Amino acid sequence: MPVLHQPRDLDEACTLLAELDDPMVYGGGTAIQILLKQGLLFAENLVDLSFVPGLTAIEATATGIRVGAMTPLRRMETDAQVAGVVPLAAATYGHVANPRVRNTASVGGNIAHGDYRLDPPTALLALDAQVELRSAHGQRRVPVRDFFVDFQLTAVEHGELITAIEIPAQPAGSASSYVKLSSLGENDWPSASAAALLVTEAGRRTLRLGIGALAPIPQFVSVDVSGHDLETTVEAAKAAADPLIDPIPDVRGSVTYKRRLGLVAVEDAVRRAWKDQDDD
Amino acid sequence: MTETALREGGEEPAVGARWQRAAARGKVRGTTKYVADLPVPPCAQVAVYRSTRPHARILAVDVTQAAALPGVQAVVTGQDLFALLGERLLTGPAFADQPALAYDRVRYVGEPVAAVLARDLATARAAVDLIAVEYEDLEPVYDVETALKGEFFVHDVLRPSSVFGDLSHLRGKRDTNVCYEYNLRTGDVDAVPTDGVTTVSGEFWSPPVAHVPIELPCTTAWVEDDRLEILTTTQTPSYVRQAVADLLDLPLNKVRVRTSVLGGSFGSKMYDRLEPLAAALAWSQQTAVRLVATREEAFLLTTRHGAGVTSSMSADADGNIVAATADVAYDTGAFADVGPRITAKSGMVAAGPYRVENAWIRSRCIYTNKPSAGPFRGFGVPQVTWSHESLVDELARELGEDPAEFRRRHLLREGDEAPMGTVMHSADFVGCLDAVTDEIGWTTPYEKGEGRWRRGRGVAVGMKAVLTPTIANAVIQLNQDGSATLMISTVDMGQGSDTIMPQIVAEVLHLDEGSVRVVAADTDTTPYDTITAGSRSTYHTGNAVRAAAEKMRDKLVDLAAQRLGVAASDCKVTSGGVMSTTAQETVSISDLMHGHFGARGTTLTAEANFTTSWQPYDHETGRSRQVTEHWFAGAVAVEILVDTMTGRVKVEQLAVAGDVGRAINPTLVEQQLTGAAIMGIGHALFDELVFDQGQIVNGTLLDYQLPSVRDVPAKLTAHVIESAHRTGPFGAKGVGETGILAIAPAIANAVRDAVGVRITRLPLSPERVLEAMTEAGVS
Ligand SMILES: Cc1cc2nc3c(=O)[nH]c(=O)nc-3n(C[C@H](O)[C@H](O)[C@H](O)COP(=O)(O)OP(=O)(O)OC[C@H]3O[C@@H](n4cnc5c(N)ncnc54)[C@H](O)[C@@H]3O)c2cc1C
Repeated sequence: MPVLHQPRDLDEACTLLAELDDPMVYGGGTAIQILLKQGLLFAENLVDLSFVPGLTAIEATATGIRVGAMTPLRRMETDAQVAGVVPLAAATYGHVANPRVRNTASVGGNIAHGDYRLDPPTALLALDAQVELRSAHGQRRVPVRDFFVDFQLTAVEHGELITAIEIPAQPAGSASSYVKLSSLGENDWPSASAAALLVTEAGRRTLRLGIGALAPIPQFVSVDVSGHDLETTVEAAKAAADPLIDPIPDVRGSVTYKRRLGLVAVEDAVRRAWKDQDDD
Repeated sequence: MTETALREGGEEPAVGARWQRAAARGKVRGTTKYVADLPVPPCAQVAVYRSTRPHARILAVDVTQAAALPGVQAVVTGQDLFALLGERLLTGPAFADQPALAYDRVRYVGEPVAAVLARDLATARAAVDLIAVEYEDLEPVYDVETALKGEFFVHDVLRPSSVFGDLSHLRGKRDTNVCYEYNLRTGDVDAVPTDGVTTVSGEFWSPPVAHVPIELPCTTAWVEDDRLEILTTTQTPSYVRQAVADLLDLPLNKVRVRTSVLGGSFGSKMYDRLEPLAAALAWSQQTAVRLVATREEAFLLTTRHGAGVTSSMSADADGNIVAATADVAYDTGAFADVGPRITAKSGMVAAGPYRVENAWIRSRCIYTNKPSAGPFRGFGVPQVTWSHESLVDELARELGEDPAEFRRRHLLREGDEAPMGTVMHSADFVGCLDAVTDEIGWTTPYEKGEGRWRRGRGVAVGMKAVLTPTIANAVIQLNQDGSATLMISTVDMGQGSDTIMPQIVAEVLHLDEGSVRVVAADTDTTPYDTITAGSRSTYHTGNAVRAAAEKMRDKLVDLAAQRLGVAASDCKVTSGGVMSTTAQETVSISDLMHGHFGARGTTLTAEANFTTSWQPYDHETGRSRQVTEHWFAGAVAVEILVDTMTGRVKVEQLAVAGDVGRAINPTLVEQQLTGAAIMGIGHALFDELVFDQGQIVNGTLLDYQLPSVRDVPAKLTAHVIESAHRTGPFGAKGVGETGILAIAPAIANAVRDAVGVRITRLPLSPERVLEAMTEAGVS
């Protein structure tokens, strides 16, 4: 059984992470508990962030919002400020697992978990979020687009913890949608997912796509769709997404099926975003 | 025909009433004590070393390092137990083929080979990791096709275990992977003229699936003086007592098996699960041991039989079903478990609930090197229903007939002889079919749609025989204050027996809701009962309970007659007590008993047995005039949508009906039908244990899929059909499995309706549906 440490501030947390053998940050514990139970986790020391003040704040910033790492996913789904500033994020967080998991899991733990099928990264990629990291050596920021490094591997380094995620506000007049397609139970992990954000800035129209569950890490692509109508936008989106799709076959589907499902997710997301924009 | 009329004096009858489920409050509030919550002596915690090979000889088991780990009390290998118990180490309900620990050979990945007893579980598990086993690989048999070739055998010799009446005809065998074969020959399928005959055929497959009850299996065993006590999660306390007594060569009164309410089971906690190992460890070490399966281990303990059915159905020019054939192969894994029973009792209905003059069925139970398959809600019938309900649907379509109407025309009716030779009674297939087709508006036109989502409707009917012969007993203790205690070995695992058995007592003795308590099964006090399974308890144990209650009623009447000086025929039990018309007096139960015994707190006891009999299958034809005590009849109708872009099937509406003879408690009947339907949706759409070289690939809840609330149809209705059984308690029969039988084919038939493809392999995963559509050129 690993030892549980409960630091009272960030400095203490960072010191523990720097000095303990095999330390692991403990966020909501929803992923860690399962790994522990299955005997897949060999951390000797868990550093629980629940008692570190300031990690559950959602604050407005000059460019958007800053969300503390220990903010429960459920709050991202229900908080009015999040829904107002980054509706795509709010919608996407609302798709994670079930309310019980969302009430317990944390925003930081979620991305740190690094699973290629996670829902939230797709939206964070489209929104160009930044991850704030801290260690005994200081602080740094990593764009979420550089955060997912390889299969189950993130930019979080030994001794580091995530303190917050900064999400730029969705531009005025933008439209968005998140689509999650499961292949077995309705409430299962996605077998394909896509977050679409349509932005019009300085006369140019851009489609920003985050796609999940379709490659060893979540993928991002941006497509200039200026002058496109819906159908050509859908085609452009699929063409842009296709080379990024590199599915991992498993009980939820073969490579061929997941590829096909991925393109459906992209198409659905684009169509819904388009509709979202028409409705505004 | 429901008698819900109030009884004399405006009293509401207990039978037919919607009494609240016993222990509902405790379950919701978390105060109910399940087996793992009950107090036991300090125990050694047990962890199990499991085989990493599908099929291998065990050359050596090195436990030195494990035994040396501080905190380890003992390491026991299969060889140790075999040295002590010899072939008694092998148990099983049909064949004695399951060793509590493998000693010479392992037969599946995950089979227990050694057990560590330690002061805590972490130590026990750490020690397990230090055990080293040397194997010599044997040729593995992964599937029934390979098994049937008969080149390599999972078992060399088979010895019947002779525990149950219905399996007393099993014979010893050797050099075969087929542990049981049932054959039905009705009429002559080969003599049917082919002129004008339409035949449909198919190869159907239902994969193995897992039960996944919320409560994990848990067994604690300890030695008390010179006897063995076992507290365990089991649906079969009487069987476990016999199996353990055989294993340890103890008299039955030196083995005590207790259980509590179960947190779900669906067949997973029956016969030999953790109990033989716990018993052998406790007895050999003369200590207390506790085994709790992890969620991952539970996937290895037992599964539902994967089954292949190669079958056909033919109709003549007038649309009469003239022949049905089915070659059924149940994959029973490494152990027969109750596979032989399933193979016969379920194989025998593979022609469907139809009037069919000529039927040919071969049903085989086949060993492979995989985890053992055993009982699962439906006992093998859903797998054959998958075949006959797909075939009959296709046949109707071939003939240009409405699938519901076609079935209606051919369904067996009261008094008809079923293909295996038994005459039907209290199995209202037509009533069930009518109820579900009416509910979904079968005859009203609907748009299939032309866009991405296509709509379809499907229907299916299910038929199952109750296990026969079986035995039930009940003891009622009436207390002087007018409350009663009921001793039965039926286990309440959510189906509600602790609610309806009291309703039966209360009906006979005119007692109030809450006045009868059921004692948790305890083989020291509760009498023998074959099994709590196969939907048999309401009828069998219910009949024993009713008979015991009637004996109690007679005793009360006699006491009252004595006391009032009137004839017994003048007295009758009412809600106020025993009433004499002549004496114009009613004596309450408490006064009557106080008067009789002269003391408060006294008890009066009555007991009864209920045993059914059958006529064994004819050796040549497999037919029997009395193959079962009664039938379960059910029907399902659905309306679904198919997403033609993803292949996903969405069940919009589902109606399920079951003939229960008489609903003792309509709410519980509806809940059983509904729960079975939801479980069946899982089996239809995504539940599946995936194997790779004999190893389960998705044996964790991260990957194994079960229906969640989001898979439940927007509209789901349960329909209670009551065609009273002449010997059922108040006409009643069971219902636990009825709702699950026909779910998968109803959904597949709707997929056929919506997008025109016939899929014969379960589950109907989106990928499979899309593939079938692509192959058929549907888009
Ligand atoms: C039943 C179930 C279903 C699920 N389904 C989905 C789904 O459909 N979609 C989906 O997106 N996700 C799903 N998940 C995953 C879920 O989103 C993650 O478990 C959760 O977000 C992890 O957050 P946590 O706070 O509980 O992390 P923890 O379990 O505490 O930690 C997870 C990892 O992150 C690290 N970590 C935690 N906090 C920090 C931090 N502040 N800084 C650095 N590292 C940190 C930990 O060391 C660990 O490696 C599901 C989970 C469950 C249990």
